[in-house]
Amino acid sequence: MNLILEKQALPELLQSWRESFDVFLPQKLERFSHFMPLQDDTAVLVNEPHNTRIPPKALFLPMTETLVKFTRVGGYKDAENEVQPRVVFAIRPCDAQAVQLLDTSFLEEDYSDPLWREKREKTVTVGLGCHEPCLTGFCTTVGGGPFNKAGLDVLLTDIGGSYLVEVLTDKGTWLFTTLQPADDSAIETAHKIQQEAFDRMEVAFKTEHLKEKLEQNFDSAYWDSVSQSCLGCGVCTFLCPTCFCFDIVDETQRRERVRNWDSCMFRTYSLEASGHNPRPSRVERTRQRLSHKFVYWIDQVNQIGCTGCGRCVRYCPVGLDIRAMLRQAQTLPFEVSHAA
Amino acid sequence: MQHNGHSPYTPIPMHVLRAYYESTDRSLKTLELSFDRAADCQAFFETFNPGQFCLLSVAGKGESALGIANAAWEGDFVRFTIQKMGSVTTALHALKAGDAIGIRGPLGNGFPLEDWKGKNLVIIGGGCAFSTLYALTKHVHHQDYRDDYGKLTLLYGTRTSGLCMYKHDIAAWHEDEDMEIHQAIDVPEDNWLHHVGYVPDVVRQVAPSPANTVAVVCGPPIMTKFTLPALVELGFSPENIFTSLEKRMKCGIGKCGRCNLGPKYICKDGPVFSLAELNALPADL
Amino acid sequence: MPDIDTIKTEAKRLLQEGVVEVVVAFKAGDTPLHPQPAFFSSPDEIDQLVFSGLCQNNLATFLTRLPKEKKVAMVVRGCENRSVNALIIEKQKSRDNLYLIGVPCEGIIDWRKIVEHVGETVLAVEENTHLVTVETPNGRFALERAILLHDSCSRCAHPNPMSADIRIGEARPEGDPSLARTTVEEFEALSSQERYAWFQKEAERCIRCYACREACPMCFCEECFVDHIEPRWTESGATPAGMQGWHIVRAFHQTGRCTSCGACERACPMDIKMTYLTEKLNHDMKKKYNFEAGLDVQTQPPFATVTLDDKNRFVVS
Repeated sequence: MNLILEKQALPELLQSWRESFDVFLPQKLERFSHFMPLQDDTAVLVNEPHNTRIPPKALFLPMTETLVKFTRVGGYKDAENEVQPRVVFAIRPCDAQAVQLLDTSFLEEDYSDPLWREKREKTVTVGLGCHEPCLTGFCTTVGGGPFNKAGLDVLLTDIGGSYLVEVLTDKGTWLFTTLQPADDSAIETAHKIQQEAFDRMEVAFKTEHLKEKLEQNFDSAYWDSVSQSCLGCGVCTFLCPTCFCFDIVDETQRRERVRNWDSCMFRTYSLEASGHNPRPSRVERTRQRLSHKFVYWIDQVNQIGCTGCGRCVRYCPVGLDIRAMLRQAQTLPFEVSHAA
Repeated sequence: MQHNGHSPYTPIPMHVLRAYYESTDRSLKTLELSFDRAADCQAFFETFNPGQFCLLSVAGKGESALGIANAAWEGDFVRFTIQKMGSVTTALHALKAGDAIGIRGPLGNGFPLEDWKGKNLVIIGGGCAFSTLYALTKHVHHQDYRDDYGKLTLLYGTRTSGLCMYKHDIAAWHEDEDMEIHQAIDVPEDNWLHHVGYVPDVVRQVAPSPANTVAVVCGPPIMTKFTLPALVELGFSPENIFTSLEKRMKCGIGKCGRCNLGPKYICKDGPVFSLAELNALPADL
Repeated sequence: MPDIDTIKTEAKRLLQEGVVEVVVAFKAGDTPLHPQPAFFSSPDEIDQLVFSGLCQNNLATFLTRLPKEKKVAMVVRGCENRSVNALIIEKQKSRDNLYLIGVPCEGIIDWRKIVEHVGETVLAVEENTHLVTVETPNGRFALERAILLHDSCSRCAHPNPMSADIRIGEARPEGDPSLARTTVEEFEALSSQERYAWFQKEAERCIRCYACREACPMCFCEECFVDHIEPRWTESGATPAGMQGWHIVRAFHQTGRCTSCGACERACPMDIKMTYLTEKLNHDMKKKYNFEAGLDVQTQPPFATVTLDDKNRFVVS
């Protein structure tokens, strides 16, 4: 279904949703934007040139979340899992595709994660495509795009004075019942903008045989080379929309067992009680990070575990660029696998 | 793992039935736990398979992954033998009969017993990693299941005789004609009647035949590292050599990411892997 | 601006003559705003060496990541030289294994201030002492360097490397120490509620990524206090208690050691201000003990020293 939304009607529309939903949208915080709840007087800014600093995965997997509460008698009970229905507005296609990737882990049948599931089921994602894709993003290289629809219930395309609203799922339908259908020229304009944005993006690195090159060179000096100036902080993993690793910790004073975002780039991540660490230095940890995204995700769900949002490129404190690392990986030797 | 409608992160409430030291130096302690709720007990044994593990929870300290050390026929309890190592295992050691505790489990894949039916089993254990092999032995050795398997050979090595676990059963198995048992310690001791030497060397000495045989090895990483090639030398194919792996674990259900070996999670796709499967995974242990 | 060719010539010589095994400096990044730290171990690699105001890391943080015995040359500005001195005093490196290529500093440019002015898409940057010229799809912008400096650099008192083996470029005038002092006094003038509100507001953005810690040359503990389990010193996650505990304790661990380089703030992905804590503590060290970290390699930091006539009796008896 294709509808048309005049830009000046947007603030009122968002406020009208608040009758039934919490509405999260990017808002100014210090020098960047951050998904925060819409209040009565929030200025609606959707002209931020790119995505938020912290990815909206934080709305599904909070930075810190209670899993279990301890009772006074040494027992345990499930943490509360009350979630208000919410709309995540102006989520970018890279971030929405990432949430869908994370679904494959959290909603996996054997041990479906109840905390993630509740939030996902109660969320409608209204995406805003990128008509001026950022320089550091590389979504098209990894199978996405500035107007990709994966993970979205609705996709908005900025066509000047208005948005083309493409309703993709049932969940998105009744947010826009007051809108008129879009005419053919609006639809055509939108499709042209979408195609131009896609074509404008450059190929950041080749993905052909990249998986084989990374996995067949486990002991290569390549890993020392790409990790040399890595500080070992968690910026890339925490700002990454597809990273989901978490630590579980008992907070005794609050009598809770919580999960916190964790990073495979930290030394303690795989440190064992005996003192042995399978990944003792930044070399092994960088290898794990790159291999997880560009080898193991593919083994598990046949998709690259990176959606090209560009945050790691922009905010790495030492300027490490994953695109350059992968271009370098393309120079590694490999053998084409003959296995079926 | 059944969690009866509860969150998979919430431990099943249990109590300590029995607690006793296994080793003379008190570094190894066995806890036998009973279920507070009958429904949990029933659900547990519906899916339980030797080789699986549980996450034992001490509220306020955390959780520790431990191999299940009993066979289902032994009764409505779950046994674990714990080596005192870090903050959680120290807290577990402090528990006594009547104390509350939580478990999450059974977790992991366990030994592929269906595939092993009709085969001879060579069970090789070292140190405290023997606990799941003990569960396996107790299971296959039981009269209800014995005929499903061929010859049983057990090889169990510990640093000293005092560190040997489950001494009562081990002593009985020495007398049991149906079981070929080889016990080893690292250095000679007075009155020691069995092998002296490291497990990989004892494996070579015993030289079990690979014909229609599956070998399963559980031990400290250094022992496993040298035992697997010894079995390959003896003619065992990688598809017929199995081991159980360990890594730092938190969620135990394949969600938190940390126990991965390549695309596999040790908690969910393992902890039991064949050597053939391991050869296809990165050396990230 | 320092002459890059002179830096390169010296770096090449050090490697060719075997004076050092590695030269730690910067190289061009893959995006215009982000040069990267680089480790050059052969003379022909030196062609990649760059040096500009966008080189935002304190290279001294890499000293404790290289083997202690390794002979290292490092390009150091004022704050980096002071960090190196502080590390030498704490026996993390011997001066004998170090060759310092000193470059008087015109201040580090905060790349996020460039983005604030011209937008996210930057195609190229050129800079000199006074002007920074930025090329964007929307045109070319010429910005005053002074307004783009990182806050710590705007109030820097010691831009000159004071113990370099060679100095490349003209010495700069010492900065005005009252600038840093004024910042501290302004903060001190706030009421305790206002100070706590400010602290809370900054700390609540924290995501516990520890970029500040890793960027800091003085945070080299193998096990940081936040990773300690028995006992756990502060909450581990992004909770108010945890975030506040992290910031306060890290600042206190820096007392008498921090050289006001600001690398922590520049590394932070959430634009958190944290130097106000360390500046206050540095200010106190100066006032109470007349001590400033890293000015030389002899003066022992007051909090890392015990003498027999120590006023605190419990320490000695």
